[in-house]
Amino acid sequence: MSFRRSALAVALVALVGVAVAVSAGARSQGTLTGAGATFPQPLIAQWQQNYKRDEINYNGIGSGGGIAAITNRTVDFGASDAPLTPDQFSACKGCIQLPWVLSATSVMYNLGGVKNAIHLNGKAIAEIYLGKITNWNDARIKRLNPGVSFPDRKITPVYRSDGSGTTYNFTDYLNSVNKEFKSKVGGPSTTVNWPTGVGARGSSGVAGVVTRTEGAIGYADIAYALKNHIKFAAVQNKSGNWATPGLRSIRSAASADKKFSRTNELSIVNPPKGRKFQRAYPISTYSYVLLPLKTSKAAQLKAFVAWAVTSGQQYGRKLIFEPVPQFVVTRPKTQLTRVKS
Amino acid sequence: MASATGSLSDPAALRRRGRFNPGDAVLYGLTLIAALSALVLLTLIARELISDAWPAMEEFGLGFLTSRTWNPTGNVFGAAPFLFGTALTSFGALLLAAPISIAIALFLTELAPRWLRGPVGALVEMLASVPSVVLGLWGILVMGPWIVDHVGPFLHRTLGWTPFFETAPAAGSSFLSAIAILTIMMVPIISSICRELFLNVPRELKEGALALGATRWELVKGVIFPYARAGMAAAMILGLGRAVGEAIAVTQVIGNNEAITWNLFDPGDTLASRIASSYQGATTHLMVSSLVYLAVILLAFSLVVNLLARVIVTRVAARQEGHT
Amino acid sequence: MNLTSEHRTRRRIVNWIMEGLATLAALAAVALLVIVVGSIAKRGIGAIDFDFFMETPSFLAGFGNEPSGIANAIVGTFVIVGFAVLMALPVGVLAAIYLNEFAPRRIQTPMTVAFDVLNGIPAIVIGIFVFVFLVAGHGQAGIKGAFALAILMLPLVARSTQEVLALVPDAMREASLALGAPRWRTTLSVVLPMAVGGIITGATLATARVAGETAPLLFTTSLASNSVSWDPTNALASIPMFIFTSSEQADPALQEQAWGAALVLITFVLAASMVARAFGLRSRRRLSGGR
Repeated sequence: MSFRRSALAVALVALVGVAVAVSAGARSQGTLTGAGATFPQPLIAQWQQNYKRDEINYNGIGSGGGIAAITNRTVDFGASDAPLTPDQFSACKGCIQLPWVLSATSVMYNLGGVKNAIHLNGKAIAEIYLGKITNWNDARIKRLNPGVSFPDRKITPVYRSDGSGTTYNFTDYLNSVNKEFKSKVGGPSTTVNWPTGVGARGSSGVAGVVTRTEGAIGYADIAYALKNHIKFAAVQNKSGNWATPGLRSIRSAASADKKFSRTNELSIVNPPKGRKFQRAYPISTYSYVLLPLKTSKAAQLKAFVAWAVTSGQQYGRKLIFEPVPQFVVTRPKTQLTRVKS
Repeated sequence: MASATGSLSDPAALRRRGRFNPGDAVLYGLTLIAALSALVLLTLIARELISDAWPAMEEFGLGFLTSRTWNPTGNVFGAAPFLFGTALTSFGALLLAAPISIAIALFLTELAPRWLRGPVGALVEMLASVPSVVLGLWGILVMGPWIVDHVGPFLHRTLGWTPFFETAPAAGSSFLSAIAILTIMMVPIISSICRELFLNVPRELKEGALALGATRWELVKGVIFPYARAGMAAAMILGLGRAVGEAIAVTQVIGNNEAITWNLFDPGDTLASRIASSYQGATTHLMVSSLVYLAVILLAFSLVVNLLARVIVTRVAARQEGHT
Repeated sequence: MNLTSEHRTRRRIVNWIMEGLATLAALAAVALLVIVVGSIAKRGIGAIDFDFFMETPSFLAGFGNEPSGIANAIVGTFVIVGFAVLMALPVGVLAAIYLNEFAPRRIQTPMTVAFDVLNGIPAIVIGIFVFVFLVAGHGQAGIKGAFALAILMLPLVARSTQEVLALVPDAMREASLALGAPRWRTTLSVVLPMAVGGIITGATLATARVAGETAPLLFTTSLASNSVSWDPTNALASIPMFIFTSSEQADPALQEQAWGAALVLITFVLAASMVARAFGLRSRRRLSGGR
């Protein structure tokens, strides 16, 4: 009896030992763990597959979660579409943010029998999310879309229930086009008090609820709308043109801000009227990587970010991530020297 | 009574008898430390949570419980919407679960043929083993659409004149979905406790009533219910406690909105669900504190529920033992 | 009770209605279980293949790569729950020994109440506590998630062990003491072996219960890697967290993965519960019936 038991014990220990050895051996590269925004996640997923130097782990928990995670040093890098506020910078105790992804927030809708790219201007979107327009056959929507017949269907606005940089981008836009939204809801912020609608977690969650709910309208990075075959609206820019999210319309919007703030922030929401911005999509945004200034993984992180803003950008085109402009590519060269181990 | 207490267990008595053994001291010490672990954990939990919630408690005080504003951008927070949502979903689920659970317990103790009791009882208990995240998954992808497409319109057509089903259902995430999921979770808990209670009703009382010519239902109404009344109340309270604390399944199906409304097709939120969805991405220190304040409220509520159920059971048990 | 014969027909009808309702309720509960388990089985079986257990999840399924497997979640759950059992089982059994064998009556009740109260604390509150106590400022880890699960298991193990110990006849203890064995020897060599069946049952049920919990892991071990890891000092993936994050995806392929993981989880939980209950029934009968 006792021989059998000790034999069993030896076997178990051996098994565990082998398993540990196997898994340890499999990770001879280093690992970088990150968390945050779901907005850039489709592109980051491409990087995870194609970056060979280190293994990249990434958890899409929302920009708010990313900011909290890097502040708590729970991860090696954070990702957020919302730039850090001064308070968040001081709470982070020595962090740096750098733009590394450029794309746009689509306004998606689920309306059977209605074509893609219906016209919705900022005022209409704001009033939908304020709860003032409650049905798709409202005159205010019909007026923007002559010739399109809308069904009698309740509008269900969908928003992000988690701390979201896409919410920041979306509320940033709505604040700039609608005074009532600005006073009632405010922001821009990763979390706001939405007067009406249904919450969902993550960009995928918003896409999920919109797909499952007839008459729903929601906001998420354009890649999610394309991937899930969800229709998205054409939004009117300040020049009066109707623009949909695309590489060209995003590039046009990006030319609205070429000057970094002291914290590397670039704001390209709702570009002004002008020849350069005729085709601009007004709800475009950069997304940022958040790094601690003092980290034991400084060399690895610097290499990763440098790769991401250069070679990494090519993987994004198909998913409507416009490669970041040259002045953004060169910024990390000077800024990353501040990151030390 | 097989629990060993008194002269057999008291180390002091053993020592007096000269039977003291150092091994006894070691075992006694180890087990005592282990037994104190619950108290230690409870104290730690209360202390950590209250200290983290303190900034919000200081800022908002007890007004937090009645304030309807939950505004992260303005840094003003109040728990009223979630207290309302918790109450609406939990009591709503209890309203549905109580009669169903009691009926199931009665079926299993009085009605079912003996060979059926074991299997059916086991199946009902299996419902309790389904993890809440799995129920939530089922709720999002199966139950939600079914409510929107079939149950909802029916309820709206027939009961649309009540404030509960005023509008037509639109999204799968709503108070109603949360109530349904919570009902499914509460039923096995309440029914298994009631089943034990009904089995323990003294034979003589039941046989007496049957001898007088009572029907089964009259037996239940006149003998079983009065006897088991307090235990049933305790079962409801414990089921309620479970529903109030459920975070994951609720946050998957409730829609995360701060509205205070009686319309069950609207989305809403509960204390536990709000903590689960917002804690990770909280923007300011005060928001984190406010969310921990919500956790403190939940903690306090679970303590009250537990002690209340216990008090009811011990008080009535004492009274019943006095009578028999 | 009005049992006069003039109302007999009405009383019979009322009785008949009530019996019908009770039967209906029981049938509804059984039907619901069948529907729930059936949906999971039907929708999840498509995801189950050898790869499901061996491969790790794709980075973001649908954006260029197909969903593959949950190997990291399976290993992670195994490690996390394993450590939870290692933490909760000894403490729970020792606590039950104290409560049943040593505690004088007036201490036994409040201490038992403490365990009941601990049992009633919602899992999300425990999760927040462990985050605040262990994770904030230090980082997530599988073992911290295990600690949270252990707190949930502890009252269950203590309570079920206490019940089994109470079933062991006093005569056994008296006989052992009469033979000159010290208290500790009696407890460990006589009482405990008789209770071992029930203890294992209780521990298995508690394990099955916490294996499906998500809330305690949400803030303590959720930022995990996609590759398989056995290292509890880092955050580990887990099946409940996988289901939670996949449940809200729009992509049907990812949804199928969620159903598959749900199927694996409930199979384990239900099987463990059934085996434990059957085993427990047998050992309980042996304890109280035979001598």
